[in-house]
Amino acid sequence: MKEKYIHILGLALTVIYFAFIVFLYWAEPRSLAEISTKSKVVIGTYQIDQQKFDEGLRAFRADNFIAARDSFDRADPERRDAKTQFYVAYTYYRQGWGRVYNDGELFSKGIEAVDRTIALNRDFKSDDSDLKLQTPAELRHELEEGTKTTGEDFNPLKLIRERK
Amino acid sequence: MNENKDLTIDDPDDLDIRGPLAGDVIRGASNRVAVSVSSAKANYFLYLLIPAIFLTVTLLGGLRLAGADSGFIFLPPPLICLVFSILLFILFFRGGLLSVSGWFSEELPTLTNVANASILLTVLAACAQIFNSLLPEGGVPFWIVSFCFFWTLWNDLFLDFDAKRFLRSTGGLLGLAFVVKYLFLQYFTAPSSQNWLTAIFENPGKEAFTWLLDLPRYSPATGYIQFFTLLLFFGGLFLLPRSTKK
Repeated sequence: MKEKYIHILGLALTVIYFAFIVFLYWAEPRSLAEISTKSKVVIGTYQIDQQKFDEGLRAFRADNFIAARDSFDRADPERRDAKTQFYVAYTYYRQGWGRVYNDGELFSKGIEAVDRTIALNRDFKSDDSDLKLQTPAELRHELEEGTKTTGEDFNPLKLIRERK
Repeated sequence: MNENKDLTIDDPDDLDIRGPLAGDVIRGASNRVAVSVSSAKANYFLYLLIPAIFLTVTLLGGLRLAGADSGFIFLPPPLICLVFSILLFILFFRGGLLSVSGWFSEELPTLTNVANASILLTVLAACAQIFNSLLPEGGVPFWIVSFCFFWTLWNDLFLDFDAKRFLRSTGGLLGLAFVVKYLFLQYFTAPSSQNWLTAIFENPGKEAFTWLLDLPRYSPATGYIQFFTLLLFFGGLFLLPRSTKK
């Protein structure tokens, strides 16, 4: 091979290898499997695991929120899908909701998840008719209200309110 | 007897015998062919193998394995590592390990100069990652080892030495830093697979040192990876020519 072509090949391989190293230090994968997932995110071919998502949805509808969240997390390990993150936030809302008082810690995690949804797709609207809160803004408002302590919390009529 | 009689070259004039690292005796067509073949080998070696070695050092220098689950942890180099790498790089030129005019010259084609620059950039990146590998991650040990590195490199800037002495001195410096971090400090680091109560009862001294010196709990495999990285770095330096010209 001519010297010129060896130089070009060397330069090209150096740039590719260096880009791969920069990618690894940027993406910080924890395992070899994660390298593949994060590569898909970078090249734009990342998709959620539909089977795990369906499993999560079934568990969500059966009020098994811990199992639902586990399935949603495995369906979307990179937290890149607005719909899945919306359901994750909803699991925190439904699990943390109480007729007398709400679980503040779960509601705070719900706010984090709903913020991720907003960051991914500000115009997201759920097509699930079982959910009374259809948009991230409505869900966030409900979660925020649930973490506040106000005089309204002592209203006995709160006992007859329903979970959304 | 001509040793290169099996080589068939369509157009011997097309072969480049003026390239970097080409042989020096050119008498007759057969020797011309031999020189060109060795020149091509030297080019493969210089422009493919050496960058690959230094980029592998760059890749592995910041890699640690977590103590709990052996998961990858990629640590980008702190700013001080870049400062140290620049100082070491200057010392490579001052110590005679590299020659500026041997790597960059108006006589060389632009592509060769660019390719040479890319090799030296991989060396610079590898230097930064070697310091990243050898500096403790935080706490008092980080500042002590950083100071020692800085003191040594700064003093070296004003000394006169040859390439051999410089390589020995650098080897000693980096080798000592490896022993401090991956043997000495590692010995004082408590294992991560215990709960805090068990850890305090079973390893009170190690727990205290880990807490006081802010030592990270890495898997023992990290030391092996960094040892290999250090060897690879020295191997790369050994193979790096002073000049790419004849």
